Amino acid sequence: MNLFDKLFEQRTRQLAQRTSRRGMLKSLGGLLVGGAAIPLLPVARAAAAEGASRPVEEGDPGSCDYWRYCAIDGFLCSCCGGSANTCPPGTEMSPVTWIGTCRNPADGRNYVISYNDCCGKSSCGACLCQRDEGDRPPYRADKTNDINWCLGTSSAAYHCSTAVVVGVAFEDQ
Amino acid sequence: MRVLASIFCALAAFGASAAEINDRRAQFNYQLFCQGCHTPDGTGAMAVPRMKDQVGYFLATPAGREYLVRVPGSATSALSDADLAEVLNWIVREFAGASTPADAEPYSAEEVGRLRQNPLNEVEQYRVQLLADIAAVITGE
Repeated sequence: MNLFDKLFEQRTRQLAQRTSRRGMLKSLGGLLVGGAAIPLLPVARAAAAEGASRPVEEGDPGSCDYWRYCAIDGFLCSCCGGSANTCPPGTEMSPVTWIGTCRNPADGRNYVISYNDCCGKSSCGACLCQRDEGDRPPYRADKTNDINWCLGTSSAAYHCSTAVVVGVAFEDQ
Repeated sequence: MRVLASIFCALAAFGASAAEINDRRAQFNYQLFCQGCHTPDGTGAMAVPRMKDQVGYFLATPAGREYLVRVPGSATSALSDADLAEVLNWIVREFAGASTPADAEPYSAEEVGRLRQNPLNEVEQYRVQLLADIAAVITGE
């Protein structure tokens, strides 16, 4: 018997002595139960809590009467290849934006809405939506939708507008 | 060690006022009146100055302290004196990091009400000189 065979035999016998025949079942069972417990860890709970503060949604984001568009003035990104939260491909979301609140009919609460413009391509031209609730004249520059909010992007060309929920409005009890 | 101590004191000074800050109201007012330009974490963008890890330096001199109230975005905002003081204290607490001097006091509604009567017009020029003065104080020159 050569050295390699001896070594192999020795290892195999050691393994057989150390482990039981049902060890495999045991570890597999542990893995299954442990795996099921992972969603209980704080990460998963944090994600669930965040979901709880997200509004209950109703309505069509492709339609001008969708609740989040209460103070919008522009082309809806959801008609231009993007969504109420995201810009269409090939455009850049402006980090500088104007912010207001809209009342969500699904739960009756007011939410803080950020009307980030998508920039870098010429006007989308679809689904023009002008609702202007709470819109202020340009001398209240941070509360007006009459200016081009493609500020802070590499291009100032306006394409369309999003309406991102950034928080719940504070209301005095 | 001195740096650590000063950071701790800064946290303690603004920490003491934490009870007076209504977090939800302060964050809502920040979102509605500041965040549009200053961005959610105070980083700013392009011409919008960065507040993150830096805004506390303004509290190193009296003129710097006044500046945060006298800039048009603060002074002419639609916020009441109490709400403006609260949101400024919130901004310092949330964004300033280690830039706040150890002995910095939180803003009061009375102080904010007085300072905002005198808003700045030529902000950019004023700011250049102000930052030079603050840098001189901080570096001890």
